[in-house]
Amino acid sequence: MSVLRIEDLCTHYFLGEDQVQAVDNVTFDIAESEIFGLAGESGCGKTTAAYSIMRILPENGAIVNGRIFLDDEDVVVKTEEEMRQLRWRKVSIVFQYAMNAFNPVLRIGNQIVEVMLEKQSIDKEEATKKAKELFDEVGLEPERIRDYPHEFSGGMRQRAIIAQALAAEPRLIIADEPVTALDVIVQNKILGLLKSLQKKYQLAVLLITHDLSVVAENSDRVGIMYAGNLVEVGTTVNVFKESLHPYTYKLIGAFPSVKGPKRRLEFIPGTPPDLIRPPSGCRFHPRCPWAQDICNLEVPEYREYEKNHWVACHFAGEINFEVEP
Amino acid sequence: MTVSTPIIEVQNLKKWFPIRTGIRSFFGEQRWVKAVDGIDFDVKSGDSLVIAGESGSGKTTLVRTMLRLIEPTAGSVNFEGEPVFTMLPDDLRLFRRRVQLIFQNPFEVLDPRHTVKDLVGEGLVVHELVSDEEELMKRVLNALEDVRLIPAEDFSRRFPHELSGGQLQRVAIARSLILDPKLVIADEPVSMLDASIRTEIMNLMTDLQKEHNLTYIFITHDLAQARYIGNWLIIMYLGKVMEMGPMEDILQDPIHPYTQALISHIPIPDPTEERHRIDIPGETPTPIDLPPGCRFRPRCQAIDEYCTDDEPELQQIGPNRWVACHGWEARKKKKQKLRHSSER
Repeated sequence: MSVLRIEDLCTHYFLGEDQVQAVDNVTFDIAESEIFGLAGESGCGKTTAAYSIMRILPENGAIVNGRIFLDDEDVVVKTEEEMRQLRWRKVSIVFQYAMNAFNPVLRIGNQIVEVMLEKQSIDKEEATKKAKELFDEVGLEPERIRDYPHEFSGGMRQRAIIAQALAAEPRLIIADEPVTALDVIVQNKILGLLKSLQKKYQLAVLLITHDLSVVAENSDRVGIMYAGNLVEVGTTVNVFKESLHPYTYKLIGAFPSVKGPKRRLEFIPGTPPDLIRPPSGCRFHPRCPWAQDICNLEVPEYREYEKNHWVACHFAGEINFEVEP
Repeated sequence: MTVSTPIIEVQNLKKWFPIRTGIRSFFGEQRWVKAVDGIDFDVKSGDSLVIAGESGSGKTTLVRTMLRLIEPTAGSVNFEGEPVFTMLPDDLRLFRRRVQLIFQNPFEVLDPRHTVKDLVGEGLVVHELVSDEEELMKRVLNALEDVRLIPAEDFSRRFPHELSGGQLQRVAIARSLILDPKLVIADEPVSMLDASIRTEIMNLMTDLQKEHNLTYIFITHDLAQARYIGNWLIIMYLGKVMEMGPMEDILQDPIHPYTQALISHIPIPDPTEERHRIDIPGETPTPIDLPPGCRFRPRCQAIDEYCTDDEPELQQIGPNRWVACHGWEARKKKKQKLRHSSER
């Protein structure tokens, strides 16, 4: 059964008279014990989707359509008070800048204990004991719960943030660019930790990143977003090895590899569109080498092209990506 | 031809920063952060060198010291045979025209209140290289066309906020190029850009290198990206060069245990590829009070008996390969033996 199910999500930002269609008709789900990688370039709406799930959108942002189910509870219709009950307990979020995620004048341990006291019916002593166990579990020395954030390195802070995210035993963890600011060796250690905890606690993880290499190595299924739309979803191997959407193919091809022969890197001419007035039809059509008349006229349906492999492209499966017209 | 003469030579370059706090310094014992701790290399004209390392490896301090943007602690740098550290102001000015820097974040470099024309032409005005407005405009338009910002007239009138990240980085490149540099040093020039745009900027820089006879030094933490822009590679760790040689040779056959581990950890965009990560315990420390012997020893998985005694020198081990490791010879013999016995 799915822990998270998103149906036709539309989230807009209101700028005076204008509306930025940051997330438009996004549908996907994440099962228990599954890591779902949500990837795309800056401005594609991946973080807005995450903030919609947590209901922590900025003041000018709103979910204008769609439903978000966390274990069959619809998040969209919850009051703010009901959301407070869900956050940390059902779903918690790990942000990119671990540097700023902790209050610099409070001890890290206390900030984790605070979450437990707020969200669980335990006393302070028990919470402190549990915080120490969590520290041990994420690979930090338990005594260091008395340290302040500045005494931790970037990697250690990221571990502490993960400990905090686990504090109230959530079902879903949203990791928004969790390793982007870290060096590769530390990056791998953090991702390895996330994966081992995910297995141990059967967590559902929404891994949001711009780095397709990180997605390739760390997720079970992948969703690719472009200009507010989810353009392709499938198992990681299918999406990478049998891409259906031209954007997916081009984006993956733009990522260099240190292994294997040096191949030609792809690039996509032009820039992502303005989401106040997105292009008609398929939002990718102005940059797509294989676009035809229909792509300008009709929005492609998001459909299951083959089992568990979804795509929104009029010509899915018909394009030979090796040849550009 | 001058193809084989080094354009820049760096010898035993050091930059130590004093630590001014603490009781020990009060009693006269000065401690240091040894950000750059004895580096030698040279770059041949027309080459493209990548200096790679993790954060805190000293790669940015190295470049800043080479350009005399901060004063060196020891060592020398020669640019086209001239020692940089003893240059008088006039020569230093010429040197800084000949060597141009491109930074990671064009948003921070380009003043938002100036037009592209002013930004690109600024260097010409500062160095008094143009006599009138007409010539300035002509040179600016040329430079914009060089970086494929076309129509150049249109772009010259815009402000930074009217440009995308990729276009801004092109403006930053045009701004350097207009001064007709010999050497361009770029500090993570594409890491702020989206993947689909990076390739275009890297291709542009490769084309410009041929068109303008440029020599490049790139600083990066991203070895996968480095592969597409450089032909030489230096791997730094805690202020020292660990390994140096041709890019592909090092990526295919790294010799230093640090390089081996680093490469094994770089993610690749292929879920079917099998990876063998080489574990490195701990995190990179700050280069203060380093242990005797090899500075990588506390985290090395291949330590030898000599590693604690003295610091390994960067030694030449092949026609084009240099490595700073005591154990490489022993490992090589072991590997050959293994190969030998498996062949039998």
